Amino acid sequence: MAYAEVNQDELMRLLRSVARKDRKAFQELYSKVAARMFGLCIKLANHRELAEEAMQESFIQIWHHAGEYHRDRGAPLGWMMTIARYRTLDLMRARKVRQTTGDEHLDKVEDNRGGPLDDSLRISGSAQLTGCLEELSDVQRDSILLAYYRGFTHDELSKTLSSPVGTVKSWIRRGLMALKRCLER
Amino acid sequence: MKKTPERVEILAAEYVLGSLKGPARLRFEGWMMESGRVRQEVWFWEQQLGALSTIAIPETPPPSIWSGIQQRLWPEHSKPKAPVSSRAGWFWPGWGLTATAAAVFFAVLLVLQPSPVPERPMLAGAIIEAELGDPLWLLSETDRGNLLKLRAVAAGSAESGKDYELWVVPEEGRPLSLGVLPASETHQVGLSDEAQSSLSGSRTLAISLEPEGGSPTGAPTGPILHVTKLYEL
Repeated sequence: MAYAEVNQDELMRLLRSVARKDRKAFQELYSKVAARMFGLCIKLANHRELAEEAMQESFIQIWHHAGEYHRDRGAPLGWMMTIARYRTLDLMRARKVRQTTGDEHLDKVEDNRGGPLDDSLRISGSAQLTGCLEELSDVQRDSILLAYYRGFTHDELSKTLSSPVGTVKSWIRRGLMALKRCLER
Repeated sequence: MKKTPERVEILAAEYVLGSLKGPARLRFEGWMMESGRVRQEVWFWEQQLGALSTIAIPETPPPSIWSGIQQRLWPEHSKPKAPVSSRAGWFWPGWGLTATAAAVFFAVLLVLQPSPVPERPMLAGAIIEAELGDPLWLLSETDRGNLLKLRAVAAGSAESGKDYELWVVPEEGRPLSLGVLPASETHQVGLSDEAQSSLSGSRTLAISLEPEGGSPTGAPTGPILHVTKLYEL
């Protein structure tokens, strides 16, 4: 995956230094990725204090585990963003932060279709992912995006999309497999 | 459950998406530890779906996040955390009532300090709970006011997943964190110039109950358990 305006080689160099417990490098790494990561945590948690806590825990994890990063984990920024996403989801589950508020979030996802969502993905160099998401049915794509961005559980998706849990599970599974077949083409 | 390629494929995708939860998620994490093939499948999805993370609009985090990270990783070298502006005024209106509810009273503890003679009077005190005969902690300034020494006497550990955090409560403005306070042994806290100046003015310290590792925001987030005033020796 490609990230605009971020020098992955530079992040790689910093991560190597962080793995050797270089505090200056750690601070530099923080200054380079903090805003992106915080934006993601807030988008996911929809809760500022939880996002702040997730950010702290993510960077503490990065400090302790920088040596475990390798190229198979993707680009350095992607690896760090994945850590932040998992930490945010963990905290959301632990605090039982509930996101379901009727159709509000669904509308947001729908509004993005063919608009800012696709544009952002194209800018980030992920045209392939955009193309593959477009091949999914509307309900499959909505389910996947709501789970990704909002950390919705099957139950929450079921309420938001007004469909039985079993149906929602099936949309997600089939959607993910269709996405994979498309990405592997 | 067998790790068939089809099962690994779908569970890895659901794991990364976040829709795999509870015992199923834990079991799958066990599979990841056992099998390189399972990990590869997870990494595939992390990379592919990770592109969605780039859509989030960057937002400058408050300085308290970085100072909190430093404090948690290197508490011995950290300066007090930068307070969060949105919390201004939170502490003062609430602390009197909370402290009263905590059934705390102040006590003077006279501890004779050896020479050299300091430039200003050294402060000392104790944190005492009404029902207990022994003080929870004894406090004293040392090293010309650069260090605050705390000796746990009857203090018990914070509840699981929580930590005690020590604060200087200035005469005006927001409390300054002095870091997480262990409930056992002797603990020394280095005082920054700002903390020293605030403490010599207000002579007031407080202890709050915070999430493990200390307040995530740089301001007290949990109940104020104790407030104590220090006295000149």
